Amino acid sequence: MNAPADTAPPNGAARDGRGRRSRSGFHYLLIPAAWALAVFDLFVVAWMLISSFKTTREVFLDPWGLPSALRWENYVEAWNSANIGEGVLNSMLLVGVSGVATIILAAPAAYALSRFGNRGSSTLTVIFVLGLGVPAQAIFIPLYIAFDRLGLINSLTSLQLIYTGTGLPFAVFLLTAFFRTLPRDIEEAAVIDGASTWYTYSRIMLPLARSGIITVFMLQAIGHWGETFFALMVLQDKHTISLALLEFMKAMQYTGARWSVLFAGLSLVVLPLIVLYVWLGSRIVEGIAAGYGK
Amino acid sequence: MFVPFVAPALIVFTLIVLAPTVFSLWVSFNEWAGAGPMTFAGFANYARMASDPVFVTSFVNTMWTLFGVGAAVFVVSFALTMLLQNMLGRKFIRLVIFFPSLVPGVVVGILWGFLFNADGLVNTVIGGLGVDDPPGWLSQEHMFKIILLGIMWLHTGVYTVILMAAADRIPRDLYEAADLAGATPWQRFRYVTLPLMWDVVSVCIVLWCVQALKIFEFILVFTGTGGLPDRGVWNLALFSYAEAFPTDGTPAFGMAAATGMLILVLAMVFTVLARWVLRRDDVQY
Repeated sequence: MNAPADTAPPNGAARDGRGRRSRSGFHYLLIPAAWALAVFDLFVVAWMLISSFKTTREVFLDPWGLPSALRWENYVEAWNSANIGEGVLNSMLLVGVSGVATIILAAPAAYALSRFGNRGSSTLTVIFVLGLGVPAQAIFIPLYIAFDRLGLINSLTSLQLIYTGTGLPFAVFLLTAFFRTLPRDIEEAAVIDGASTWYTYSRIMLPLARSGIITVFMLQAIGHWGETFFALMVLQDKHTISLALLEFMKAMQYTGARWSVLFAGLSLVVLPLIVLYVWLGSRIVEGIAAGYGK
Repeated sequence: MFVPFVAPALIVFTLIVLAPTVFSLWVSFNEWAGAGPMTFAGFANYARMASDPVFVTSFVNTMWTLFGVGAAVFVVSFALTMLLQNMLGRKFIRLVIFFPSLVPGVVVGILWGFLFNADGLVNTVIGGLGVDDPPGWLSQEHMFKIILLGIMWLHTGVYTVILMAAADRIPRDLYEAADLAGATPWQRFRYVTLPLMWDVVSVCIVLWCVQALKIFEFILVFTGTGGLPDRGVWNLALFSYAEAFPTDGTPAFGMAAATGMLILVLAMVFTVLARWVLRRDDVQY
Protein backbone atom coordinates (compact mmCIF):
# COMPACT_ATOMS: atom_id res chain seq x y z
CA MET A 1 0.00 0.00 0.00
CA ASN A 2 1.37 3.33 -0.96
CA ALA A 3 1.15 6.19 1.48
CA PRO A 4 -1.45 8.71 0.31
CA ALA A 5 -0.15 12.06 -0.80
CA ASP A 6 -1.12 13.85 2.38
CA THR A 7 1.12 11.77 4.59
CA ALA A 8 4.34 13.40 3.37
CA PRO A 9 6.28 13.93 6.60
CA PRO A 10 6.80 17.62 7.30
CA ASN A 11 10.57 17.49 7.68
CA GLY A 12 11.22 14.96 5.01
CA ALA A 13 12.22 12.38 7.61
CA ALA A 14 11.51 9.43 5.37
CA ARG A 15 8.32 7.44 5.18
CA ASP A 16 8.57 5.74 8.49
CA GLY A 17 5.32 3.88 8.47
CA ARG A 18 3.81 5.95 11.18
CA GLY A 19 1.67 7.85 8.74
CA ARG A 20 0.22 4.64 7.40
CA ARG A 21 -0.51 3.17 10.80
CA SER A 22 -2.47 6.16 12.05
CA ARG A 23 -4.81 6.19 9.07
CA SER A 24 -8.22 5.40 10.45
CA GLY A 25 -11.77 6.51 9.87
CA PHE A 26 -11.34 9.01 12.64
CA HIS A 27 -8.37 10.51 10.88
CA TYR A 28 -10.20 10.98 7.60
CA LEU A 29 -12.99 12.70 9.49
CA LEU A 30 -10.59 15.11 11.13
CA ILE A 31 -8.60 16.26 8.11
CA PRO A 32 -11.61 18.03 6.54
CA ALA A 33 -12.40 19.43 10.00
CA ALA A 34 -8.96 21.01 10.27
CA TRP A 35 -9.29 22.52 6.80
CA ALA A 36 -12.82 23.65 7.59
CA LEU A 37 -11.55 25.55 10.61
CA ALA A 38 -8.86 27.28 8.57
CA VAL A 39 -11.27 28.06 5.74
CA PHE A 40 -13.78 29.44 8.23
CA ASP A 41 -11.17 31.82 9.67
CA LEU A 42 -10.20 33.05 6.21
CA PHE A 43 -13.85 33.36 5.27
CA VAL A 44 -14.69 35.55 8.28
CA VAL A 45 -11.89 37.98 7.41
CA ALA A 46 -12.80 38.03 3.73
CA TRP A 47 -16.49 38.50 4.49
CA MET A 48 -15.73 41.42 6.79
CA LEU A 49 -13.59 43.10 4.12
CA ILE A 50 -16.17 42.55 1.38
CA SER A 51 -19.06 43.75 3.56
CA SER A 52 -17.16 46.91 4.42
CA PHE A 53 -17.64 48.05 0.80
CA LYS A 54 -21.40 47.42 0.69
CA THR A 55 -24.35 49.42 1.88
CA THR A 56 -25.91 48.19 5.11
CA ARG A 57 -28.95 47.15 3.07
CA GLU A 58 -26.78 44.97 0.86
CA VAL A 59 -25.10 43.40 3.93
CA PHE A 60 -28.45 42.02 5.02
CA LEU A 61 -30.23 41.42 1.70
CA ASP A 62 -27.29 39.95 -0.17
CA PRO A 63 -24.85 38.74 2.48
CA TRP A 64 -23.04 36.35 0.12
CA GLY A 65 -22.76 38.61 -2.89
CA LEU A 66 -20.17 41.13 -3.94
CA PRO A 67 -20.81 44.82 -3.39
CA SER A 68 -22.64 46.58 -6.22
CA ALA A 69 -20.03 49.35 -6.03
CA LEU A 70 -16.90 49.84 -3.94
CA ARG A 71 -18.09 52.27 -1.30
CA TRP A 72 -14.91 53.85 -0.07
CA GLU A 73 -17.09 56.41 1.67
CA ASN A 74 -17.73 53.78 4.35
CA TYR A 75 -14.06 54.05 5.21
CA VAL A 76 -14.11 57.83 5.17
CA GLU A 77 -17.11 57.81 7.47
CA ALA A 78 -15.55 55.25 9.82
CA TRP A 79 -12.27 57.17 9.89
CA ASN A 80 -13.89 60.54 10.57
CA SER A 81 -17.32 60.44 12.14
CA ALA A 82 -16.85 57.09 13.94
CA ASN A 83 -13.55 58.34 15.39
CA ILE A 84 -11.68 55.27 14.15
CA GLY A 85 -9.06 57.59 12.72
CA GLU A 86 -8.31 59.12 16.09
CA GLY A 87 -8.48 55.65 17.60
CA VAL A 88 -5.96 54.19 15.17
CA LEU A 89 -3.51 57.05 15.73
CA ASN A 90 -3.88 56.94 19.53
CA SER A 91 -3.60 53.17 19.66
CA MET A 92 -0.48 53.26 17.47
CA LEU A 93 1.06 55.85 19.75
CA LEU A 94 0.11 53.79 22.79
CA VAL A 95 1.50 50.47 21.60
CA GLY A 96 4.61 52.11 20.15
CA VAL A 97 5.60 54.11 23.21
CA SER A 98 4.67 51.48 25.78
CA GLY A 99 6.33 48.75 23.72
CA VAL A 100 9.62 50.64 23.56
CA ALA A 101 9.40 51.60 27.24
CA THR A 102 8.80 47.98 28.22
CA ILE A 103 11.88 46.86 26.29
CA ILE A 104 14.06 49.64 27.73
CA LEU A 105 13.12 48.56 31.25
CA ALA A 106 12.91 44.81 30.76
CA ALA A 107 16.00 44.10 28.65
CA PRO A 108 18.66 45.17 31.19
CA ALA A 109 16.70 43.55 34.01
CA ALA A 110 16.39 40.30 32.10
CA TYR A 111 20.10 40.41 31.23
CA ALA A 112 21.08 40.93 34.87
CA LEU A 113 18.68 38.27 36.12
CA SER A 114 19.95 35.71 33.64
CA ARG A 115 23.66 36.45 33.97
CA PHE A 116 24.85 38.17 37.12
CA GLY A 117 24.03 35.25 39.39
CA ASN A 118 23.21 37.35 42.44
CA ARG A 119 21.62 35.71 45.42
CA GLY A 120 18.33 37.51 44.88
CA SER A 121 18.04 36.94 41.15
CA SER A 122 15.98 33.76 41.22
CA THR A 123 13.57 35.26 43.77
CA LEU A 124 13.26 38.41 41.67
CA THR A 125 12.67 36.40 38.52
CA VAL A 126 9.88 34.53 40.29
CA ILE A 127 8.32 37.82 41.46
CA PHE A 128 8.30 39.17 37.91
CA VAL A 129 6.87 35.93 36.54
CA LEU A 130 4.15 35.87 39.21
CA GLY A 131 3.08 39.19 37.73
CA LEU A 132 1.91 37.22 34.68
CA GLY A 133 -0.92 35.87 36.80
CA VAL A 134 -2.12 39.20 38.18
CA PRO A 135 -5.37 40.07 36.40
CA ALA A 136 -6.31 43.66 35.56
CA GLN A 137 -9.24 43.44 37.97
CA ALA A 138 -6.87 42.98 40.90
CA ILE A 139 -5.11 46.32 40.29
CA PHE A 140 -7.56 48.65 38.54
CA ILE A 141 -9.18 50.30 41.58
CA PRO A 142 -5.93 51.65 43.08
CA LEU A 143 -4.67 52.67 39.63
CA TYR A 144 -7.89 54.54 38.93
CA ILE A 145 -7.70 56.34 42.29
CA ALA A 146 -4.03 57.20 41.84
CA PHE A 147 -4.43 58.58 38.31
CA ASP A 148 -7.55 60.43 39.39
CA ARG A 149 -5.66 62.16 42.23
CA LEU A 150 -2.79 62.97 39.90
CA GLY A 151 -5.19 64.50 37.40
CA LEU A 152 -4.14 61.90 34.85
CA ILE A 153 -7.58 60.57 34.03
CA ASN A 154 -8.38 60.96 30.34
CA SER A 155 -4.66 61.06 29.54
CA LEU A 156 -2.78 58.72 27.23
CA THR A 157 0.22 58.96 29.56
CA SER A 158 -1.58 56.96 32.25
CA LEU A 159 -2.46 54.25 29.77
CA GLN A 160 1.14 54.15 28.57
CA LEU A 161 2.33 53.69 32.16
CA ILE A 162 -0.20 50.93 32.75
CA TYR A 163 0.66 49.09 29.54
CA THR A 164 4.36 49.38 30.28
CA GLY A 165 4.03 48.12 33.85
CA THR A 166 1.67 45.26 33.09
CA GLY A 167 3.78 44.26 30.09
CA LEU A 168 6.96 43.86 32.15
CA PRO A 169 6.35 40.33 33.52
CA PHE A 170 5.98 38.82 30.06
CA ALA A 171 8.91 40.79 28.65
CA VAL A 172 11.24 39.90 31.53
CA PHE A 173 10.12 36.27 31.36
CA LEU A 174 10.73 35.92 27.64
CA LEU A 175 13.95 37.93 27.51
CA THR A 176 15.47 36.15 30.51
CA ALA A 177 14.90 32.89 28.70
CA PHE A 178 16.36 34.41 25.54
CA PHE A 179 19.54 35.74 27.16
CA ARG A 180 20.12 32.30 28.69
CA THR A 181 20.36 30.83 25.22
CA LEU A 182 23.17 33.19 24.19
CA PRO A 183 26.72 31.81 24.50
CA ARG A 184 28.79 33.02 27.43
CA ASP A 185 32.23 33.06 25.79
CA ILE A 186 31.55 36.31 23.95
CA GLU A 187 31.03 38.14 27.23
CA GLU A 188 34.10 36.50 28.74
CA ALA A 189 36.15 37.68 25.80
CA ALA A 190 34.75 41.19 26.26
CA VAL A 191 35.64 41.18 29.96
CA ILE A 192 39.18 40.05 29.19
CA ASP A 193 39.44 42.91 26.71
CA GLY A 194 38.49 45.25 29.55
CA ALA A 195 34.96 46.15 28.50
CA SER A 196 32.69 47.49 31.24
CA THR A 197 29.51 45.62 32.14
CA TRP A 198 27.39 48.34 30.58
CA TYR A 199 29.46 48.29 27.40
CA THR A 200 29.22 44.50 27.20
CA TYR A 201 25.48 44.68 27.64
CA SER A 202 24.66 47.55 25.32
CA ARG A 203 27.17 46.92 22.56
CA ILE A 204 27.45 43.16 22.51
CA MET A 205 24.58 41.37 24.20
CA LEU A 206 21.74 43.67 23.24
CA PRO A 207 22.41 43.43 19.50
CA LEU A 208 22.65 39.65 19.86
CA ALA A 209 19.26 39.60 21.56
CA ARG A 210 17.70 41.60 18.75
CA SER A 211 15.37 38.90 17.48
CA GLY A 212 14.09 38.19 20.99
CA ILE A 213 13.49 41.89 21.53
CA ILE A 214 11.60 42.26 18.27
CA THR A 215 9.43 39.27 19.19
CA VAL A 216 8.61 40.78 22.59
CA PHE A 217 7.84 44.16 21.05
CA MET A 218 5.56 42.65 18.42
CA LEU A 219 3.66 40.52 20.93
CA GLN A 220 3.23 43.47 23.30
CA ALA A 221 2.06 45.75 20.51
CA ILE A 222 -0.43 43.20 19.20
CA GLY A 223 -1.65 42.44 22.72
CA HIS A 224 -2.30 46.10 23.52
CA TRP A 225 -3.63 47.11 20.11
CA GLY A 226 -7.25 46.51 21.08
CA GLU A 227 -6.91 46.66 24.87
CA THR A 228 -10.27 47.64 26.33
CA PHE A 229 -10.47 47.25 30.10
CA PHE A 230 -7.91 49.86 31.15
CA ALA A 231 -8.77 52.12 28.23
CA LEU A 232 -12.40 52.24 29.36
CA MET A 233 -11.25 53.01 32.87
CA VAL A 234 -8.82 55.80 32.01
CA LEU A 235 -10.12 57.62 28.94
CA GLN A 236 -13.24 59.74 28.79
CA ASP A 237 -13.47 61.68 25.54
CA LYS A 238 -10.34 60.34 23.85
CA HIS A 239 -10.51 57.24 21.68
CA THR A 240 -8.49 54.15 21.16
CA ILE A 241 -9.66 51.75 18.47
CA SER A 242 -11.70 49.71 20.94
CA LEU A 243 -13.31 52.77 22.52
CA ALA A 244 -14.20 54.19 19.10
CA LEU A 245 -15.83 50.89 18.11
CA LEU A 246 -17.78 50.68 21.38
CA GLU A 247 -18.97 54.24 21.01
CA PHE A 248 -20.02 53.69 17.42
CA MET A 249 -22.05 50.63 18.46
CA LYS A 250 -23.71 52.68 21.16
CA ALA A 251 -24.53 55.40 18.64
CA MET A 252 -26.08 52.80 16.31
CA GLN A 253 -28.77 52.24 18.95
CA TYR A 254 -30.05 55.73 18.17
CA THR A 255 -28.95 56.55 14.66
CA GLY A 256 -29.92 53.20 13.21
CA ALA A 257 -27.74 50.34 12.10
CA ARG A 258 -24.78 51.33 9.97
CA TRP A 259 -23.17 47.93 9.88
CA SER A 260 -21.20 48.51 6.70
CA VAL A 261 -19.48 51.50 8.31
CA LEU A 262 -18.81 49.41 11.40
CA PHE A 263 -17.27 46.72 9.18
CA ALA A 264 -15.10 49.37 7.55
CA GLY A 265 -13.99 50.35 11.05
CA LEU A 266 -13.25 46.74 11.95
CA SER A 267 -11.28 46.37 8.73
CA LEU A 268 -9.19 49.43 9.60
CA VAL A 269 -8.32 47.72 12.89
CA VAL A 270 -7.57 44.33 11.38
CA LEU A 271 -5.73 45.38 8.20
CA PRO A 272 -2.52 46.49 9.98
CA LEU A 273 -2.52 43.13 11.76
CA ILE A 274 -2.92 41.27 8.48
CA VAL A 275 -0.02 43.19 6.94
CA LEU A 276 2.11 42.49 10.00
CA TYR A 277 1.10 38.85 10.03
CA VAL A 278 1.85 38.25 6.38
CA TRP A 279 5.22 39.89 6.94
CA LEU A 280 6.19 38.42 10.31
CA GLY A 281 3.61 35.68 10.91
CA SER A 282 5.92 32.67 11.06
CA ARG A 283 8.23 34.57 13.37
CA ILE A 284 5.38 35.44 15.75
CA VAL A 285 4.13 31.86 15.71
CA GLU A 286 7.63 30.47 16.28
CA GLY A 287 8.14 33.00 19.07
CA ILE A 288 5.00 31.85 20.87
CA ALA A 289 5.90 28.22 20.37
CA ALA A 290 9.45 28.74 21.66
CA GLY A 291 8.43 30.97 24.54
CA TYR A 292 6.01 28.53 26.09
CA GLY A 293 7.33 25.28 24.76
CA LYS A 294 10.66 25.33 26.58
CA MET B 1 26.15 46.51 38.79
CA PHE B 2 23.10 44.36 39.51
CA VAL B 3 20.98 47.13 40.99
CA PRO B 4 21.08 49.71 38.17
CA PHE B 5 20.14 47.00 35.68
CA VAL B 6 17.17 45.68 37.60
CA ALA B 7 15.96 48.66 39.63
CA PRO B 8 14.11 50.66 36.92
CA ALA B 9 12.03 47.67 35.88
CA LEU B 10 11.39 46.69 39.46
CA ILE B 11 10.26 50.19 40.43
CA VAL B 12 7.76 50.49 37.58
CA PHE B 13 6.55 46.94 38.18
CA THR B 14 6.07 47.71 41.88
CA LEU B 15 4.19 50.95 41.20
CA ILE B 16 1.87 49.57 38.54
CA VAL B 17 1.37 45.96 39.63
CA LEU B 18 2.61 45.02 43.11
CA ALA B 19 1.55 48.04 45.18
CA PRO B 20 -1.92 48.27 43.58
CA THR B 21 -2.45 44.57 44.30
CA VAL B 22 -1.72 45.13 47.99
CA PHE B 23 -3.87 48.26 48.09
CA SER B 24 -6.70 46.39 46.34
CA LEU B 25 -6.63 43.84 49.12
CA TRP B 26 -7.10 46.66 51.63
CA VAL B 27 -9.91 48.27 49.61
CA SER B 28 -11.67 44.89 49.40
CA PHE B 29 -12.16 45.01 53.18
CA ASN B 30 -13.95 48.36 52.94
CA GLU B 31 -17.10 49.97 51.64
CA TRP B 32 -16.09 52.77 49.36
CA ALA B 33 -17.80 54.76 46.62
CA GLY B 34 -14.48 56.14 45.36
CA ALA B 35 -15.15 59.64 46.59
CA GLY B 36 -15.83 60.29 50.26
CA PRO B 37 -14.83 58.22 53.23
CA MET B 38 -13.86 54.58 53.25
CA THR B 39 -15.59 52.53 55.94
CA PHE B 40 -14.01 49.35 57.19
CA ALA B 41 -16.32 46.42 56.58
CA GLY B 42 -14.20 43.37 57.29
CA PHE B 43 -15.25 40.44 55.14
CA ALA B 44 -18.65 41.95 54.31
CA ASN B 45 -17.87 42.26 50.59
CA TYR B 46 -16.76 38.65 50.41
CA ALA B 47 -19.79 37.51 52.39
CA ARG B 48 -22.12 39.42 50.09
CA MET B 49 -20.84 37.49 47.06
CA ALA B 50 -22.69 34.28 47.86
CA SER B 51 -26.03 36.05 48.27
CA ASP B 52 -25.75 38.23 45.16
CA PRO B 53 -27.41 36.39 42.26
CA VAL B 54 -25.54 38.45 39.66
CA PHE B 55 -22.26 37.53 41.28
CA VAL B 56 -23.21 33.85 41.42
CA THR B 57 -24.10 33.85 37.72
CA SER B 58 -20.82 35.61 36.91
CA PHE B 59 -18.91 33.07 38.96
CA VAL B 60 -20.62 30.10 37.35
CA ASN B 61 -20.03 31.56 33.89
CA THR B 62 -16.35 32.00 34.70
CA MET B 63 -16.13 28.37 35.80
CA TRP B 64 -17.81 27.23 32.58
CA THR B 65 -15.20 29.14 30.65
CA LEU B 66 -12.31 27.78 32.71
CA PHE B 67 -13.30 24.11 32.75
CA GLY B 68 -15.82 23.64 29.94
CA VAL B 69 -14.07 25.64 27.25
CA GLY B 70 -10.69 24.66 28.70
CA ALA B 71 -11.38 20.95 28.26
CA ALA B 72 -12.74 21.49 24.76
CA VAL B 73 -9.78 23.65 23.71
CA PHE B 74 -7.32 21.01 24.87
CA VAL B 75 -9.10 18.10 23.22
CA VAL B 76 -9.34 19.97 19.92
CA SER B 77 -5.77 21.27 20.11
CA PHE B 78 -4.43 17.80 20.83
CA ALA B 79 -6.46 16.30 18.02
CA LEU B 80 -5.20 19.00 15.64
CA THR B 81 -1.63 18.50 16.85
CA MET B 82 -1.73 14.77 16.22
CA LEU B 83 -3.47 15.29 12.93
CA LEU B 84 -1.27 18.04 11.60
CA GLN B 85 1.91 16.13 12.49
CA ASN B 86 1.90 14.49 9.12
CA MET B 87 -0.47 16.37 6.95
CA LEU B 88 0.00 18.37 3.84
CA GLY B 89 -0.38 22.12 4.41
CA ARG B 90 0.27 21.95 8.14
CA LYS B 91 2.28 25.18 8.29
CA PHE B 92 -0.43 27.00 6.42
CA ILE B 93 -3.24 25.71 8.61
CA ARG B 94 -1.26 26.48 11.74
CA LEU B 95 -0.63 30.02 10.57
CA VAL B 96 -4.29 30.58 9.71
CA ILE B 97 -5.86 29.15 12.86
CA PHE B 98 -3.46 31.12 15.04
CA PHE B 99 -4.47 34.46 13.55
CA PRO B 100 -7.84 35.00 15.32
CA SER B 101 -6.10 35.05 18.69
CA LEU B 102 -4.13 38.12 17.58
CA VAL B 103 -7.19 40.09 16.55
CA PRO B 104 -8.52 42.37 19.32
CA GLY B 105 -11.32 40.81 21.37
CA VAL B 106 -13.54 43.77 20.50
CA VAL B 107 -13.35 43.00 16.80
CA VAL B 108 -13.85 39.24 17.00
CA GLY B 109 -16.63 39.72 19.55
CA ILE B 110 -18.54 42.01 17.19
CA LEU B 111 -18.03 39.64 14.24
CA TRP B 112 -18.99 36.54 16.21
CA GLY B 113 -22.10 38.26 17.53
CA PHE B 114 -23.06 39.38 14.04
CA LEU B 115 -22.77 35.84 12.66
CA PHE B 116 -25.49 34.73 15.08
CA ASN B 117 -27.72 37.77 14.62
CA ALA B 118 -31.35 37.11 13.74
CA ASP B 119 -30.49 38.19 10.16
CA GLY B 120 -26.95 36.91 10.52
CA LEU B 121 -24.99 34.55 8.34
CA VAL B 122 -25.57 31.45 10.45
CA ASN B 123 -29.32 31.74 9.97
CA THR B 124 -28.90 32.39 6.25
CA VAL B 125 -26.91 29.18 5.97
CA ILE B 126 -29.26 26.97 7.95
CA GLY B 127 -32.22 28.67 6.26
CA GLY B 128 -30.73 27.58 2.95
CA LEU B 129 -30.55 24.05 4.37
CA GLY B 130 -34.26 24.13 5.00
CA VAL B 131 -34.45 25.22 8.63
CA ASP B 132 -37.16 27.87 8.64
CA ASP B 133 -37.37 28.34 12.35
CA PRO B 134 -33.83 28.84 13.64
CA PRO B 135 -33.26 28.93 17.38
CA GLY B 136 -32.85 32.39 18.88
CA TRP B 137 -29.06 32.19 19.21
CA LEU B 138 -28.91 35.39 21.17
CA SER B 139 -31.86 34.65 23.42
CA GLN B 140 -31.24 34.42 27.16
CA GLU B 141 -30.92 30.67 27.12
CA HIS B 142 -28.52 30.30 24.19
CA MET B 143 -26.43 33.44 24.25
CA PHE B 144 -23.82 32.30 26.73
CA LYS B 145 -23.32 28.99 24.91
CA ILE B 146 -22.61 30.89 21.71
CA ILE B 147 -20.13 33.06 23.60
CA LEU B 148 -18.37 29.95 24.94
CA LEU B 149 -18.17 28.53 21.44
CA GLY B 150 -16.61 31.79 20.25
CA ILE B 151 -14.04 31.78 23.05
CA MET B 152 -13.12 28.25 22.11
CA TRP B 153 -12.74 29.20 18.45
CA LEU B 154 -10.43 32.06 19.42
CA HIS B 155 -8.07 30.13 21.64
CA THR B 156 -7.67 26.80 19.89
CA GLY B 157 -5.01 28.19 17.57
CA VAL B 158 -2.62 29.29 20.30
CA TYR B 159 -2.60 25.96 22.08
CA THR B 160 -2.30 24.05 18.84
CA VAL B 161 0.80 26.10 18.01
CA ILE B 162 2.41 25.45 21.40
CA LEU B 163 1.54 21.75 21.49
CA MET B 164 2.68 21.27 17.90
CA ALA B 165 6.06 22.76 18.69
CA ALA B 166 6.40 20.34 21.59
CA ALA B 167 5.31 17.38 19.48
CA ASP B 168 7.82 18.31 16.79
CA ARG B 169 10.66 18.03 19.26
CA ILE B 170 9.92 14.37 19.98
CA PRO B 171 12.55 12.34 18.13
CA ARG B 172 11.17 10.20 15.35
CA ASP B 173 13.10 7.08 16.34
CA LEU B 174 10.99 6.80 19.48
CA TYR B 175 7.96 6.29 17.25
CA GLU B 176 9.85 3.82 15.12
CA ALA B 177 10.74 1.86 18.24
CA ALA B 178 7.09 1.92 19.30
CA ASP B 179 6.05 0.69 15.86
CA LEU B 180 8.56 -2.15 16.00
CA ALA B 181 7.09 -3.14 19.34
CA GLY B 182 3.69 -3.26 17.67
CA ALA B 183 2.10 -0.28 19.43
CA THR B 184 -1.37 0.84 18.38
CA PRO B 185 -1.89 4.56 17.55
CA TRP B 186 -3.49 5.05 20.94
CA GLN B 187 -0.57 3.37 22.71
CA ARG B 188 1.90 5.52 20.83
CA PHE B 189 0.01 8.60 21.95
CA ARG B 190 -0.36 7.37 25.51
CA TYR B 191 3.18 6.07 26.08
CA VAL B 192 5.35 8.18 23.76
CA THR B 193 3.69 11.47 22.83
CA LEU B 194 1.90 12.38 26.05
CA PRO B 195 4.72 11.69 28.55
CA LEU B 196 7.18 13.70 26.47
CA MET B 197 4.78 16.65 26.18
CA TRP B 198 3.65 16.61 29.76
CA ASP B 199 5.70 19.57 30.84
CA VAL B 200 4.41 21.75 28.01
CA VAL B 201 0.85 20.65 28.72
CA SER B 202 1.12 21.88 32.28
CA VAL B 203 2.50 25.24 31.09
CA CYS B 204 -0.47 25.45 28.71
CA ILE B 205 -2.94 24.78 31.50
CA VAL B 206 -1.44 27.55 33.61
CA LEU B 207 -1.59 29.90 30.63
CA TRP B 208 -5.21 28.96 30.00
CA CYS B 209 -6.22 29.67 33.62
CA VAL B 210 -4.76 33.16 33.38
CA GLN B 211 -6.23 33.85 29.93
CA ALA B 212 -9.68 32.47 30.72
CA LEU B 213 -10.03 34.57 33.86
CA LYS B 214 -9.30 37.83 32.10
CA ILE B 215 -11.69 37.48 29.15
CA PHE B 216 -13.59 40.76 29.08
CA GLU B 217 -14.13 42.60 25.82
CA PHE B 218 -15.28 39.58 23.81
CA ILE B 219 -18.33 39.31 26.08
CA LEU B 220 -18.72 43.07 26.45
CA VAL B 221 -19.27 43.72 22.74
CA PHE B 222 -21.05 40.50 21.89
CA THR B 223 -24.59 41.82 22.01
CA GLY B 224 -23.69 44.79 19.86
CA THR B 225 -25.00 47.53 22.11
CA GLY B 226 -21.62 49.01 23.02
CA GLY B 227 -22.59 49.05 26.69
CA LEU B 228 -22.72 46.34 29.35
CA PRO B 229 -24.52 43.24 28.05
CA ASP B 230 -27.29 41.27 29.73
CA ARG B 231 -26.27 40.20 33.25
CA GLY B 232 -26.83 36.56 32.36
CA VAL B 233 -23.60 36.47 30.33
CA TRP B 234 -21.31 38.36 32.71
CA ASN B 235 -18.18 36.78 34.02
CA LEU B 236 -16.18 37.89 37.05
CA ALA B 237 -14.15 40.41 35.06
CA LEU B 238 -17.32 42.12 33.82
CA PHE B 239 -18.88 41.94 37.28
CA SER B 240 -15.87 43.64 38.83
CA TYR B 241 -15.88 46.39 36.20
CA ALA B 242 -19.64 46.96 36.56
CA GLU B 243 -19.35 47.26 40.33
CA ALA B 244 -16.73 49.98 39.98
CA PHE B 245 -18.32 51.86 37.09
CA PRO B 246 -22.05 51.09 37.17
CA THR B 247 -24.35 52.62 34.57
CA ASP B 248 -26.69 53.60 37.40
CA GLY B 249 -26.25 53.65 41.16
CA THR B 250 -23.16 54.32 43.27
CA PRO B 251 -19.80 52.73 42.54
CA ALA B 252 -18.90 49.89 44.90
CA PHE B 253 -15.11 49.98 44.85
CA GLY B 254 -14.89 47.59 47.78
CA MET B 255 -16.86 44.91 45.98
CA ALA B 256 -14.99 45.53 42.72
CA ALA B 257 -11.67 45.09 44.54
CA ALA B 258 -12.91 41.99 46.37
CA THR B 259 -13.91 40.43 43.05
CA GLY B 260 -10.47 41.30 41.67
CA MET B 261 -8.87 39.61 44.64
CA LEU B 262 -11.02 36.54 44.08
CA ILE B 263 -9.90 36.36 40.44
CA LEU B 264 -6.28 36.66 41.55
CA VAL B 265 -6.71 33.89 44.14
CA LEU B 266 -8.44 31.68 41.55
CA ALA B 267 -5.56 32.24 39.11
CA MET B 268 -3.01 31.30 41.77
CA VAL B 269 -4.90 28.30 43.15
CA PHE B 270 -5.44 26.84 39.69
CA THR B 271 -1.85 27.52 38.70
CA VAL B 272 -0.48 25.78 41.78
CA LEU B 273 -2.99 22.94 41.43
CA ALA B 274 -2.17 22.42 37.77
CA ARG B 275 1.56 22.36 38.42
CA TRP B 276 1.11 20.04 41.39
CA VAL B 277 -1.32 17.57 39.86
CA LEU B 278 0.62 17.42 36.63
CA ARG B 279 3.97 17.23 38.38
CA ARG B 280 6.16 14.62 36.72
CA ASP B 281 9.85 14.10 36.55
CA ASP B 282 10.99 15.91 33.47
CA VAL B 283 11.81 13.31 30.84
CA GLN B 284 15.07 14.03 29.12
CA TYR B 285 15.29 13.11 25.49
